[in-house]
Amino acid sequence: MSTSSEKLESLVNRRYEHGFVTDIETDTMPPGLNKDVIRAISARKKEPEFMLKWRLRAYRYWLTMQEPTWSHVRYTPVDYDSISYYAAPKSDKDGPKSLDEVDPKLLETYEKLGIPLHERARLAGVAVDAVFDSVSVATTFKEKLSEAGVIFCPFSEAVRDHPELIRKYLGSVVPQRDNFFAALNSAVFSDGSFVYIPKGVRCPMELSTYFRINAANTGQFERTLIIADEGSYVSYLEGCTAPMRDENQLHAAVVELIALKDAQIKYSTVQNWYPGDENGKGGIYNFVTKRGDCRGANSKISWTQVETGSAITWKYPSCILRGDNSVGEFYSVAVVNNYQQADTGTKMIHIGRNTRSTIVSKGISAGHAQNTYRGLVRVMPQATGARNHTQCDSLLIGKDCGAHTFPYMEIRNPSAKIEHEATTSKISADQLFYCRQRGISEEDAVNMIVNGFCKEVFKELPMEFAVEAQALLNVSLEGAVG
Amino acid sequence: MKSALKIDALREAVARMPNDRLSDARLAALQHLDDQGTPTTRHEDWKYTNLASVIDLSNQWLADGAESAPPGSDSATIDAVTSRFDANWLIIANGKVDLDSIALAQEAGIGVALLSDSIATFDFDAPLADLNIALLHDGLCLRIEAESELSKPIGILFIDNATAAVGVTQARVEIELAAHSEASFIEYHASSGTASHYANTVVNLDLGDNARVSYVRIQDRHHAHSQTNRLGVHLGRDSRFSHCAFDLGGKLIRNDLNIQVTGPGASASFHGLYLAGDGQHIDNHTRIDHRVGPARSRQEYRGILSEYSRCVWNGKVIVHAGADGTDAEQTNHNLLLSENAEIDAKPELEIYADDVKCAHGTTIGTLDEAALFYLRTRGLDAQEGRQLLTRAFAQIIVNMTPITAMQETISGIVADRLANLIDGVE
Repeated sequence: MSTSSEKLESLVNRRYEHGFVTDIETDTMPPGLNKDVIRAISARKKEPEFMLKWRLRAYRYWLTMQEPTWSHVRYTPVDYDSISYYAAPKSDKDGPKSLDEVDPKLLETYEKLGIPLHERARLAGVAVDAVFDSVSVATTFKEKLSEAGVIFCPFSEAVRDHPELIRKYLGSVVPQRDNFFAALNSAVFSDGSFVYIPKGVRCPMELSTYFRINAANTGQFERTLIIADEGSYVSYLEGCTAPMRDENQLHAAVVELIALKDAQIKYSTVQNWYPGDENGKGGIYNFVTKRGDCRGANSKISWTQVETGSAITWKYPSCILRGDNSVGEFYSVAVVNNYQQADTGTKMIHIGRNTRSTIVSKGISAGHAQNTYRGLVRVMPQATGARNHTQCDSLLIGKDCGAHTFPYMEIRNPSAKIEHEATTSKISADQLFYCRQRGISEEDAVNMIVNGFCKEVFKELPMEFAVEAQALLNVSLEGAVG
Repeated sequence: MKSALKIDALREAVARMPNDRLSDARLAALQHLDDQGTPTTRHEDWKYTNLASVIDLSNQWLADGAESAPPGSDSATIDAVTSRFDANWLIIANGKVDLDSIALAQEAGIGVALLSDSIATFDFDAPLADLNIALLHDGLCLRIEAESELSKPIGILFIDNATAAVGVTQARVEIELAAHSEASFIEYHASSGTASHYANTVVNLDLGDNARVSYVRIQDRHHAHSQTNRLGVHLGRDSRFSHCAFDLGGKLIRNDLNIQVTGPGASASFHGLYLAGDGQHIDNHTRIDHRVGPARSRQEYRGILSEYSRCVWNGKVIVHAGADGTDAEQTNHNLLLSENAEIDAKPELEIYADDVKCAHGTTIGTLDEAALFYLRTRGLDAQEGRQLLTRAFAQIIVNMTPITAMQETISGIVADRLANLIDGVE
């Protein structure tokens, strides 16, 4: 047993493998936030006037707001004056027209990350928009997508080229004053992805964004807006990594999804920001607002997330089920190890008739980590025939970790059918013993049990992500059982 | 509108209280309440229950001179309750302890005394418990010895008679069970009169090692009367606590049941039924702190809501670090019978130990159409069908009443209340 625990010990201490820093020149703004910084960001992005006004309004709201304290996480407060709100790779200044013009060092970064950019993108058939620090570096497959009429471009480009869509939809799901971090994002967001799927189009390939924070002392504030017009379909993947740094870095993103009549959006995330070292030093603060609006009848929004990184996660991808017969789904695996803390879950707001929602949340805690599921199911009086099923299970590995469940159910219609179940348990000695008896190593047995525990969620992920997620999970938990 | 308790008026009312052994505690509680303030809906524990109406009532009562009705003014209701359940009854009427009932209980071999003759120090932990001490005339203190052989349950009747004026009453009972002792308790809340009334009660129960308690709480207040009620329980080694609560009446009702598991081997089962009709707001908050293991807890709450009613159920299980071997389950089922009813359910688990088994389940829905149809094919009309199905739903809790002799009577009371609730449901 002792040799195996030594082996496990060494595995626990394995370092975060995406923790490299890419040595390229960046164009960074001095730290601190004021109106001039916002004007400068807007100017650098060559934004139209309405966008600047919109940002400044958000900034005014933000000044009046308090950082929320209700979540079940503890962290040293963020000093908003020590963060630089804009950092861009210098080489981007002249604007690369194609991948060939992109700094090779940057491409090397993506190679290291294993993102299917460039040639590999074609093989994998995935269109990638990569956001490096604050700007979108390259978008692949643009031509092929535009043939189908799909708009997939960096957010800043959309603001310039499609202002009518931005004006109509930006902030319509997550308003500027929605919460403290959404207001901050609205004021300073630097880039992100914009997707528009026209009526009746099934997006010919999966769209993907990769986010990376590279520069020190910067925050990343990206904004994603996806609009699926009537009868369209899109599957969107999002991944993220960051270098290892001793200081905490802030990531406050906003994602807005809009599904019109009969449209479907599938949004998958594999979040692997730097989680901090084994003593809880460093790591990303991941304070994200994600919300989807099923605006039309028969629309569907599905969130799938695999959360393995970040020191602190504060994230509730939600669905507003406004259209009749609309469907919301939330599948989540959240893994925390060492001193990570996650407070994550979802909100399902049933407004339309015969709306349905499914929540499957799997939380795994190891080391000294704290994992919280926080979810809301609200059925409004007019939401006749609403249906929700919630399942949230927690797995505890080790004596010092915690798993918490805070589900809220607010039901105001008698025809609603709401079910909620939750369990908490550990990997039992019996299960492990049985596997060992069959010649499976303890490590593999744990992986097998954990993967089985998460299977319901993994099967919702697109293929290439499912493989990555499974591998990530194994790495995150290696050595957690001794 | 923000309602806050007028602390100056409260201070004056406390100053007018008799100078006795509780005086210091009253002042300390007042100070503590002043520091903390009364809870608002911005507090997580009070998210769904707005105390504004109760606070306004208290302010009005303080402004009117803080007088409460004399005790013993409603003997008919007292007789009705005490004759219904066979027990040694202790009575707190309008916030004042009925001394005759103490004498009778003492004759029956129960160790009971006035709070002011027993203890003078209290734990200050919650604003409403502070308010309770600050305005407390007197309370009861019970001690159950290991050898006491009590043939009947101990009944504690809280009764308020709201006459023409607005009334506010405080009542408090401290119960201690020695190691290896055993006892049954009935906590009954009743009221009469139609004036607005607010009652704030606190009961603390301390179970010594291997002590056994069966506890039944029935709240059947007048529809104009509000109540906040707190039951605090400490469980010693291998002790066993079985509890069942029935909320039938009242306007704004908030029950807090707090259980601390401090001895290994302890077990707690606490169940409840809430039936809410027009204008009622019934909030049940339970919290169990598993501080040591192994220990077991089970809870099941069921609710039936009709007309313009709102119910809240918030169950919290906290398994502290080191409480290995904890086995906890919480269940909550709700039936919504009206378009205008609202249920807010929040089953929470907070777990800091790994060798535990915890689960919770919640369901919310209405009566099954297929089941109703089946009953109609068997010749029952729609109303009878609803009656039968809701009774079956409620009976599960009635059957868990730990004092089995009470089950039949409670079943009857529940059936009457249900008949009332269902009347008008289409």
